[in-house]
Amino acid sequence: MNDVDLVSPEVRIPWYKQRLLVLVVGSIVLALVLVMVAMALYASSGSAQLDISRPGYKSVQDQVQPSTFESFPASGEVDSDTIDEFLELYDRETMRVDSEGVFETSALEDEALGIDAP
Amino acid sequence: MKFNIPRLIAIPVVIATVVVSPALAVTVTMTDAHVARIKENCPVALATLGRIHASDAPQYINSNQIYYSTGDKLMARLNSRLTLNQFDASSLVKTASDYVATLDKFRKVYKIYDDTMSELVRMDCQRTPVTFYDRVAVAREQRGEVREAVIEIQALISKYRSQVEKFRVDNLTETDDE
Repeated sequence: MNDVDLVSPEVRIPWYKQRLLVLVVGSIVLALVLVMVAMALYASSGSAQLDISRPGYKSVQDQVQPSTFESFPASGEVDSDTIDEFLELYDRETMRVDSEGVFETSALEDEALGIDAP
Repeated sequence: MKFNIPRLIAIPVVIATVVVSPALAVTVTMTDAHVARIKENCPVALATLGRIHASDAPQYINSNQIYYSTGDKLMARLNSRLTLNQFDASSLVKTASDYVATLDKFRKVYKIYDDTMSELVRMDCQRTPVTFYDRVAVAREQRGEVREAVIEIQALISKYRSQVEKFRVDNLTETDDE
């Protein structure tokens, strides 16, 4: 028996049968699909509108108020004082939102943007 | 089967007018001078739109947060408490339900508006001034819908408050006197 007989002949496996390659490519494809699903959900669910970390919003990040909303207890007796407490809390919390003039269309008028007819 | 001929003619004409007129309203009246003006002021308009778009985001986030908490942490909890105490809170529950539906509408119309604004600020208005002008008109209309939703929400907040006061007059005044 000589040394040549101990060396097994080289077997060429086609690329599509190589397990490592399939694993790597499969992982990349799966990751891409999952990212696309996540991005679609991010865009369609309305989460994007609440995400202030998007590019272009850095200058307004400090304008977002932290959530300090006080809850009303959902159990307990109900009398006139309970309603007074509720109304006091209700007025205090709902007054925090500034709805005066928000989303007025005048900001997007042609004149305001300088694109009105001469 | 009898056909009403004038009606058969009138219906397609009305439909065609309704469908076609908004598009014509913008494109037909646009003169060369107007197009030139849009091109000239395009960079300034884009910068203004970018600022409006950026400042809308915190406004929406803050409003949405308070509106959601008002429904979830105040209205729903009071309704639950009244029901647990065997009171008839059906009118308050109905208003709270309308409120949740309107809040959902607010989120939807804002998302549509925000998508249009995102598209608008990336638009090449030098190359497509007419399309840009049309999209500004669409964004303006959508912003109006957001504004209407805000007004509806505010009206429901006030309505709920009035109903709570009425509830006290109807159900608790006598109880307290006894």
